[in-house]
Amino acid sequence: MTIAAPARQITAAAARADGVWKVYGTGEAQVVALREVSVELQRGRFTAIMGPSGSGKSTLMHCLAGLDSVTRGQVYVGDTQLTGLNDAGLTKLRREKVGFIFQQFNLLPTLTAEENILLPLAIAGRKPDRAWFQTVIDTVGLGDRLSHRPSQLSGGQQQRVACARALVSRPEVIFADEPTGNLDSRSGGEVLNFLRQSVIDHGQTIVMVTHDATAASFADRVIFLADGSVVDSLDDPTAERVLDTIKRIGADH
Amino acid sequence: MLKAMLRGLFAHKLRLILSALAIILGTAFMSAAFVSGDTISKGFTDLFSTINEDIDAQVTAKSDVPSLEGGGGEALVTKVVPQDVADKLKGLDGAESVTPQVVSDGARVIGKDGKVVASNGPPRLGGAWPANINEDPNLELRLGTGPTAPDQVVLSANLAKSAGVTVGDKVEIITLQPRRTFTVSGISGYKGGRDSLGGETFVYFTLPVAQELMLGTTGVYSNVDIKAAPGVSQETLKQRAQAVVGDGYTVRTGEETSQEQASGIQSFLSIFSTGLAVFGFLALFTGAFLIFNTFSMLIAQRTRELALYRSFGANRGQVLRSVLLESLLLGLAASIVGLLIGFGLGWLLTRLLRSTGFPGGALVISPWVVIGTLFAGTIITVLSALAPALRASRVAPIEAMRDAAKPDKPLRRLTTFGLILMAVGIALLILKGTKTLEDNVLTLGGGCLFIFIGAVMVAPALSRPITGTIGKLVDWATPGRLGVRNTGRNPRRTALTAAALMIGVTLATGAGVFASSVKAGLSDIFASELNADLILQTDFTAGPTAGFQPALMDQVRQIPGVSTAAALQTDGVKLANRDEFVVATDAKAAQTLFTLEPREGEIRELNSGEIILNDGFATKTGLKVGDTATMQTARGEAKDLKVIGILASSQVVTNPLISPADASGFRSPLAQQAYIKVTDPAQIEPVRTQLKTLVADNPEVSVSDPSAQIKQATTFLDLMLNVLNVLLGLTILVAVLGVINTLLLSVFERTRELGLLRAIGMNRSRMGWMITVEAVLISVFGALLGMVLGTALGITLVKIFGGNFLKLTIPWGYLIATLVLAVIAGLIAALLPAWRAARLNVLQAIAYE
Repeated sequence: MTIAAPARQITAAAARADGVWKVYGTGEAQVVALREVSVELQRGRFTAIMGPSGSGKSTLMHCLAGLDSVTRGQVYVGDTQLTGLNDAGLTKLRREKVGFIFQQFNLLPTLTAEENILLPLAIAGRKPDRAWFQTVIDTVGLGDRLSHRPSQLSGGQQQRVACARALVSRPEVIFADEPTGNLDSRSGGEVLNFLRQSVIDHGQTIVMVTHDATAASFADRVIFLADGSVVDSLDDPTAERVLDTIKRIGADH
Repeated sequence: MLKAMLRGLFAHKLRLILSALAIILGTAFMSAAFVSGDTISKGFTDLFSTINEDIDAQVTAKSDVPSLEGGGGEALVTKVVPQDVADKLKGLDGAESVTPQVVSDGARVIGKDGKVVASNGPPRLGGAWPANINEDPNLELRLGTGPTAPDQVVLSANLAKSAGVTVGDKVEIITLQPRRTFTVSGISGYKGGRDSLGGETFVYFTLPVAQELMLGTTGVYSNVDIKAAPGVSQETLKQRAQAVVGDGYTVRTGEETSQEQASGIQSFLSIFSTGLAVFGFLALFTGAFLIFNTFSMLIAQRTRELALYRSFGANRGQVLRSVLLESLLLGLAASIVGLLIGFGLGWLLTRLLRSTGFPGGALVISPWVVIGTLFAGTIITVLSALAPALRASRVAPIEAMRDAAKPDKPLRRLTTFGLILMAVGIALLILKGTKTLEDNVLTLGGGCLFIFIGAVMVAPALSRPITGTIGKLVDWATPGRLGVRNTGRNPRRTALTAAALMIGVTLATGAGVFASSVKAGLSDIFASELNADLILQTDFTAGPTAGFQPALMDQVRQIPGVSTAAALQTDGVKLANRDEFVVATDAKAAQTLFTLEPREGEIRELNSGEIILNDGFATKTGLKVGDTATMQTARGEAKDLKVIGILASSQVVTNPLISPADASGFRSPLAQQAYIKVTDPAQIEPVRTQLKTLVADNPEVSVSDPSAQIKQATTFLDLMLNVLNVLLGLTILVAVLGVINTLLLSVFERTRELGLLRAIGMNRSRMGWMITVEAVLISVFGALLGMVLGTALGITLVKIFGGNFLKLTIPWGYLIATLVLAVIAGLIAALLPAWRAARLNVLQAIAYE
């Protein structure tokens, strides 16, 4: 199954899944999480993946990010084919081409906000580009909190640090797993706003898994999954249209 | 509830096994010590009662002079039973047989290599061959015949083997008299295939020769053994014999004799089993830290789970009880395993000792050893878990709803308390140092313990600054920096883990400082007070009868280039009612050789009946110049000696000096040492050669010099240090277990963090590096704490005991070696946790809740 071309200008894919199957277990205990999924995530766009619990949306993201292996099919990030890469190759890919934002923030408690943000660059042994760093800090609005430890920051602030950490290495794709799941609506709105802003201003590619229709409405495009398959997609969504689609899918399945 | 919680316990198997290992190790050492000790001890008791089966009473001569300890000194007979007393006992009412015996220490056989066959403690006995060997209950002839001519001997099988001789060979033997040549007429052994009772060697002469060589004169005996006629009790026989011989003699029953004989060996055995027990105790003590740490961590991790139980309505008591029950089960299980391993070790040890001539039968397992070991292992585990259990019981139900990560409690209270404890400890040591309080157990033991526990409490506050500072070395790369931060993250945990290592390092460093100070002090004394260039030295393992004729000095003085020479003949005597060693020597020569100064009176060549007291003895007794002191020697009569001088304090001469003429009653007529000064340093080597020729026929005497002497004097220190190093090794082993344990827990706790690091591009080797940095920092921190504490302890000991004898010296090489060892220990400890961290499945790590 192939997704119809989007309304806006077609760009090269930042990440791509091609006929991907993901099967857990064998025999009677066998669970099919992804069933022949093919998606293309355009460069410089904000894509949301939605679907009910167990629809395979998180699995899809993990496979796209190289965190999980696929049973069949191919996954690409940029020009790199992930299937068949060993741990060292996957590590290199994560280091150079992928950024992550988690629901649980996942900051290192021993490091300050600034150190947390610069950690991926430090691990990769790259020098930070100070101007870009400043831009990122300004975007997420953390200027006065850089020397704080995660325990001294609010949830919203911690997630902004996590966003800055993902942005600072200018990865091919940022994968965000329910980034607003642990935040109140105001903090969540702020985070989504500057994720969107970084797509518009800096051409960053972002893929976000969410089950929140409002969050999905910040994306350029929403892909709907159910029972391990892509069942629908929306361009330039609004919260109402997203909810309508979910209702329709719920009725179909 | 209990079932659920116990399931929680067993969910952490690896961790429990690691912390249980420390308990297992400790209890194994402890029980092995006791079991092997009991077994060997029973072996000896059985053995002696078999040997003394035919002795119902034994008569020996009483001596006022205490026997010398070690080197077979106990078996050296100096007071004898004369023929007429032995004859009086013949026909004693109620005696079936009366057998006078000749046995004493000091028969040294020269082996094929020209050296005296060495003994490492057991006596080298010489005595008379029994009149009728076929009737002897214990002894048997293995080869040849008994000695029938004065130049014939029978050697015990073990002696013949070490000397490399057999029947028909010529053999040279040194006794109270210089070496003499004998022909081996036979080889003896004990019935039942045993070569010796406890490693001792035996030379059997004909009766008159034995009397002359072993007791100094013919017609005397070392003891008279009496066998009771049927129906006469040992006690009755003893009383009757005592009535015959009078007050000058000691009469023991057969049973008392066995006990007396066994007690000498028991004291050796107890040193050995005490050593093992100390090992065991240290392992347990170190293990206590491990258990404490493990339970603390498990409970911190399970806060949510415990809070859940509390929110279901479990009360504090239930939580407390269930944690304590966990520790009880763990302690008991570990102690049982340890006990079983201990039995195995004990069995192995007794086997090993049996092969070197020790007696032994089936393993003796006393119920007290079983109970004691199980109790010690279990109680230590439960006590270590008490504090964490209390903390667990205080978990509030609300914490079930919170995120598990909690900020650490402030350390101020703990640190303050620790500092107070340390201050108390230091105060106790000061009291000892200023001699306000003399009690060693309270001041020294208590002081050290207080300081130690205080240090453990202060350690958490120090852990972050210290590991942070050391961490600067690895701060240049991200994994290093993260490792350093992680180490500083939970100061209590880091400090406790390090404390396990601190124990061993403190002890070893303290002993190291003390030992090197003793060495430096000795060198200083030899350099400043000893004015001799060459020394004739008797092998100190050769026993109290070894040495050379004092008359040899006449020949030494004839050697060209010798300016002053004095022989030293030392023996234990009763002087002014005190047990004291006195030295018979040429006092005038000694003054030059040892730079002696008179505090009172004068130093000159002593005439018979005169004595010069050392400073310490004069102070102890209050004797003054002109006073008279009575001296009782081992073999001679009491004699009054007039004090003609008192020495100023000296580090070399610490005993009273008497005239060689008054040494005739010493145990041995031989001198043990001689100090020689040459006219000019160029003469040292020529004189050395001459001296070597002079003593060439005496394998127990060697030519030495002050520097070699220092080495010899410090051999025992090296031995002690070696033992301590083994101990250090053991505690390091336990400490490594602790580090592994802590890091495994940390890896487990930080699963999500580690997953994140992997997700943002950290590779496996760098993950391993990060964990390794943490492991090495913890162990280096522990080693540093131990080194500082140990050095302080060593310095304190030197100050307290040193006087002006010890010279404070820090063994830097030793300290550096310890540090290197700590780094290696850290690296080893990091292997498993680092492997675990590197192998984490990234996805599971992130999804981990």
